Amino acid sequence: MSLAFLVPLFLLGIAGVVVPILIHLTRRQRRNVVRFPSLMFLEKIPYQEQRRRRVQHWFLLLLRALALAVLAMAFARPFFQDDELGLGASGGPREVVVLIDQSYSMEIGNQLEQARDEAQQVFNGLGPLDRASLVAFSQGASVLARSTADRTRLRAALDTVRLSSGSTSFGPALKVAQTILEESNLPGGEVFLLSDFQRNGWVGDEGVRLPAGSTFTPIALGDEEIEENILVTDISLPRQSVAGRERVTPTARVVRRGGTTPREVVVSLDIDGQELQSQSIALAPDAAGAVEFPALTISRPHTRGTVRLPEDDLSADNSHHFVVSPGTALSVLILEGAGAETDVSLYLRQALDITDDGRFRVSVRRASNVRPVDLENTDAVFLNDVQIDGASAERLRTFVDEGGGLLIALGEQGGWPASAADMLPGTIGPVQDRLQGRGGRLGFLEYGHSVFEVFSGPRSGDFTGARFFRARGFQPSEEGAVLARFDDGSVALAELRLGRGRVLVWTNTLNSYWSDLALQPVYLPFVHRLAEYLGGRAEAVPWFTIGQVVNLANPEALLTAGLVSSEAAGLAEGDDQVALTPTGTTIEMPAEEGARYLPLEEHGFYTVRPPGSEPERPFVMAVNVELDESNLARMDPEQLELQIMAPPSADAGGFNIGESAAMQRQDQERRQSIWRWMLILALALFMGETVLSNFVSRKTAGAQGALVG
Amino acid sequence: MAESRTRSATSGTQFLDPTVLGRIGNLQLLARIVVDGFLTGLHRSPHLGFSIDFAEHRAYMPGDDIRRIDWRLFARTDRHYIKLFEADTNANFVVVLDVSASMSYGSHSLSKLDYARYLAACLSFFSSQQRDRVGLVTFDHEIVEYVPPSMKHLDTILHLLDQAKAGRPGSLAEPLLQVNELLSRKGILVIISDFYEEPGEVLSAIGPLRARGHDVIVFHVMDPNELEFPFEEASGFEDLETSEQIPVIPARLREDYKRMVGQHLETLQEQFTGSRIDYTLLDTSKPLDLALFQYLLAREQLMRTR
Repeated sequence: MSLAFLVPLFLLGIAGVVVPILIHLTRRQRRNVVRFPSLMFLEKIPYQEQRRRRVQHWFLLLLRALALAVLAMAFARPFFQDDELGLGASGGPREVVVLIDQSYSMEIGNQLEQARDEAQQVFNGLGPLDRASLVAFSQGASVLARSTADRTRLRAALDTVRLSSGSTSFGPALKVAQTILEESNLPGGEVFLLSDFQRNGWVGDEGVRLPAGSTFTPIALGDEEIEENILVTDISLPRQSVAGRERVTPTARVVRRGGTTPREVVVSLDIDGQELQSQSIALAPDAAGAVEFPALTISRPHTRGTVRLPEDDLSADNSHHFVVSPGTALSVLILEGAGAETDVSLYLRQALDITDDGRFRVSVRRASNVRPVDLENTDAVFLNDVQIDGASAERLRTFVDEGGGLLIALGEQGGWPASAADMLPGTIGPVQDRLQGRGGRLGFLEYGHSVFEVFSGPRSGDFTGARFFRARGFQPSEEGAVLARFDDGSVALAELRLGRGRVLVWTNTLNSYWSDLALQPVYLPFVHRLAEYLGGRAEAVPWFTIGQVVNLANPEALLTAGLVSSEAAGLAEGDDQVALTPTGTTIEMPAEEGARYLPLEEHGFYTVRPPGSEPERPFVMAVNVELDESNLARMDPEQLELQIMAPPSADAGGFNIGESAAMQRQDQERRQSIWRWMLILALALFMGETVLSNFVSRKTAGAQGALVG
Repeated sequence: MAESRTRSATSGTQFLDPTVLGRIGNLQLLARIVVDGFLTGLHRSPHLGFSIDFAEHRAYMPGDDIRRIDWRLFARTDRHYIKLFEADTNANFVVVLDVSASMSYGSHSLSKLDYARYLAACLSFFSSQQRDRVGLVTFDHEIVEYVPPSMKHLDTILHLLDQAKAGRPGSLAEPLLQVNELLSRKGILVIISDFYEEPGEVLSAIGPLRARGHDVIVFHVMDPNELEFPFEEASGFEDLETSEQIPVIPARLREDYKRMVGQHLETLQEQFTGSRIDYTLLDTSKPLDLALFQYLLAREQLMRTR
């Protein structure tokens, strides 16, 4: 072992030690030189005493020179060269990247364990100067160990590789490998891809190009072909309202991939962890079928359901989870005037009654006042051509403030007490006739608004066919927003947000008295959207897919996630929450400003609840796997290799011994990093010099001596 | 005696102050102002009458030498008149001026060379007025300029003095040897230098001129800093001629320095006096009149000896 320098040219900097000498010799004289006619007399005067004083400062000079020399040596990057240290197995230090597929298809035939063994072998084969990285991937890629020669760390990282619920995607993992190789300064690069090479994991050229000179070694795991795979692909949950109770009829779609002969498959339904029913279905090879379970009465919120298939090689797609809650029907109160025509709400009531899943519970009351009892458990109120009193208006104010929705359809009799005028998005005016020609039409719709958003696409609702012959004038206020106007510019629909709820004013009737809108096909979806918007209802999804993210701070997102509305606002605004993953991991979700994202990465049910509490029916979200992974068709790894390897260039493969030796020296120097210590030493010397020179200066201050040297 | 005259002349010779002289650019004008002012303040009478050229008559004043009464005029006018003559020795007058680098030193407004140039100009002008033939030699380690003595060379001399610059190392022996060869006719030699050589060497350089019969007047020009060595801060001292530097602690060396300079001046004084050479030490911070008086004294003695 001998001392060597990586950049010996910097040793020339040692010549810099003359700098302090020169400064020492010249500084005082240059700083204060007296030009004198002749030194004839001065030269005759001896000054031996001064020479004796110089000795002290030679030490200071020595300190400065030493500091500079150490600094120059640090820049020369010294290291102790170990000549016996060999090169890697491939003839030079390598940057090895091991990519392990952890998608859920890797459970087949214990492929993940095989992948671990293969990776361990790769790590065992590393040379002393090689470095390795470990990347686990499914849909995304995570670097578990990056460019390290520490085998212990690599082994530890390997032990943390677990099956995920994600599907295979080679692109992100290969991109990570590419980045690691590009950032490496080792001459050789090698990528090991350990996977079952599902065809769905590679969509073609994803912009991955491994650096020239690197090698790609695909290691295909699980040679045996899987005969068949049966999976649940979808569940429909149609609802019915029977005698005031909601009933759900789960229908599962089951797909059989592969197989040779028809077979019976037992499909079972679990509700809240209890197997409720099971049915058999005969499936031919590569065929699909639907299993309809008897209707269930949903009486409790956040009811967890799972459709299961018998265990096979790929278990993750054998179960499909969902969450349903009762009470999702919106309760709509229609208030019509006591003296109004009997059919004033006919179209409105009929439109709200026509749904597939009993989405609206409609009640009609003929009165000019609103009782407190009317607003209990009510989501939306339609005041259909009725004039209410001030007390009723105040009750409605409270109702809206707390999140309810109010629509005021004006018509002939409709009005609003002046005492609560601030609840309206404007001022109600007199009746305006549009009897000339063929009447008025809707000229402007705010398609960006939730009410009209569904009608924004082509052939998704035509309002232009409706003709309006009479309307109430309406002057919108500054706070109000106009959602629809007639073709003469007058207001048709206006909105005011009040507290957590909203107030809409429709300046026309909701029957066919003043317009023929009620006779148009668009009337029904329009009324449905109005009711849903007023009730704050979003379409709840019964399950999510792996990789999706839920923002727990967004009430609408929570409603979409199936949280019942009474809890959604509380959770969104609320306190700390804890999310429990299907595998039992706890994710803290502290209350904080801004979004609180919960990534859904595991297959099963996520439970969200306040920390330390055990609610009887906690908020639950079902998460299912991506079914792309269930397609076990394989791809040829060579295909992948051809697409990601850069075309060989003239010098790509040339890794000569000289380069190798240089790399070896660099590596040794980097490991030892003696230069850091030398920099610290130089710094210490400079500090010592400063202290010493200050001390000397103070000591000699006022003394009459010219310092030489 | 010279000191008493200096004091009496001070009121009328404000232009002899070196700082005032420094503001006058024209050397001829300067010399004229200095000499006229100087002489006016002194009264002219003591210095006239050595010549044979008649100048004018004036009324006899008590105290005048009765030998100088023009008796013929008394016979015609029955009044006593003194007969005055223009001084005109018609002697050679040569200024030998050191322009070595050490002469460029000056701790105040005037360098030694400036002071020496004013002195040389004044003396040349004065001598020219006395109808002497004036010449000039400037030297450092060799002769730089040489103007042969002539009654018509005053302008040339003043011009050369005006242009004189110090820059090179100097020595005395070689250039003065050349001067000795150049000046065959005896005359008055005024040597102006700072004499940074050993006294023995100085005398051996000047001695031959005296031996040849020249009347040698030596003006030793020194800056007050050279005499007092008032420096305080430890510094590098650089020789103006050799550029050699040595570190010096002035406070520590001051006494030694002053002692050595004193010894040097004393030795020079003794040796010049012993060789019958007029020696005057001039401090550049002092007025020029001391030098001029010294010169006049020398002239007076010279005239007496003739």
